[in-house]
Amino acid sequence: MKQSATIVLLALLLGACSSTKPPTQKITQTEASIRQAEQVGAEEYAPLEIREARKKLEQSKDLVEDEKFEEAKRTADQAMVDAELAQIKALSAKAQKAVHELKQSIKALQDEIQKNINSNQ
Amino acid sequence: MNATRYLHIILAGTITIAFLGACGGPPQNNPLLTEAQQAYHKAENDSMVVLKAPVALKEAEENLEKSQEIWQSRGDKKLIDHYAYLAKQKTAIATETAKMNAAQDQVERAEAERKEVLLVARKAEAEAAERKAQQAIQELESVKEEAKNAQKRAEEMASRINELEAKQTERGLVLTLSDVLFDFNSSDLKPGSKRVVQELTSFLNEYPNRKIQIEGHTDSIGSEEYNEQLSMRRANSVKDALVSNGVNSTKIRTVALGEQYPVASNINEAGRQQNRRVEIIVSDEKGEISQRK
Repeated sequence: MKQSATIVLLALLLGACSSTKPPTQKITQTEASIRQAEQVGAEEYAPLEIREARKKLEQSKDLVEDEKFEEAKRTADQAMVDAELAQIKALSAKAQKAVHELKQSIKALQDEIQKNINSNQ
Repeated sequence: MNATRYLHIILAGTITIAFLGACGGPPQNNPLLTEAQQAYHKAENDSMVVLKAPVALKEAEENLEKSQEIWQSRGDKKLIDHYAYLAKQKTAIATETAKMNAAQDQVERAEAERKEVLLVARKAEAEAAERKAQQAIQELESVKEEAKNAQKRAEEMASRINELEAKQTERGLVLTLSDVLFDFNSSDLKPGSKRVVQELTSFLNEYPNRKIQIEGHTDSIGSEEYNEQLSMRRANSVKDALVSNGVNSTKIRTVALGEQYPVASNINEAGRQQNRRVEIIVSDEKGEISQRK
């Protein structure tokens, strides 16, 4: 634990100096993640998260412009998790909606059957 | 002096601690980290999350540890916040993933339930059909039974009518009563006709829809006009006997046919006796009697 803490600290200290490249790959990944989230209906089911992701993506690009690469990467990382959350929230909401609809259709089916049974008696 | 010196030491110590403070002692509370810790703690105690979203939960843990380490070592607040934020979002992802998986499981279960419901429905429908079939069979049986009874009644009636010496003619059942023959110029019923009248009474009681027409006949001796009157009197004699037995008079119609329809030759007495008669025509079920043409 203590060792890993030291390593992390070292990495951080080094990180501050070593990040001289723009996080281009990270930004591309984040953009893809946002698109995926949009495709599964994040706009409807997770509007806050998807908005946050887009905002941070823009911020990250601005930071790259300012050559603040380390901060740009962190912001892109955050945008990425926001997009991931938006995506999973949309999928989860849809699944729950499906459950609800299915349960309702079963209920309707049962009612219909009961009606048929009653009218046949 | 001693007191002053002691104060100096305390002061110096306080300053030292204040300087060192940046490196030791409990760091300042970070609300975002606290929030992330609480969320993570809740998620790791949720067996659904542990089971259904282990990867996201692990990523949350790693980020949380990073944030905590930087916080412990009084690192950059920006970095503490950053990893706390990632931990928080990863925890939310884990929780939401578990929810989604649970919902998908529910969908599968609901599908199974739907199939079960349909199965039950088909069974119920089959049972209803079976009940209907049973009902139909029972109805058929009762119809059969009824038909059998009707047949029996018809046979009974036929045998009754046989006793009455009925003939099935194109006019329906016609009874020519050999026991109800009359003496010359008489309309009195002979004693032997009593049995026939009694049977006719019980027949009419048993078949209330049937009506009868009594037709009186004579031999050819005497004027036609007289014979017609005589034939009416003979028909009425039978009717009166039936009415006195309790038969409703509206069921009986009498017709005077005089000497018009002999059944035997009027040349000798034997033939004339045959002609001094009544004939009784039994109606159909509706009470209709076809008339002589």
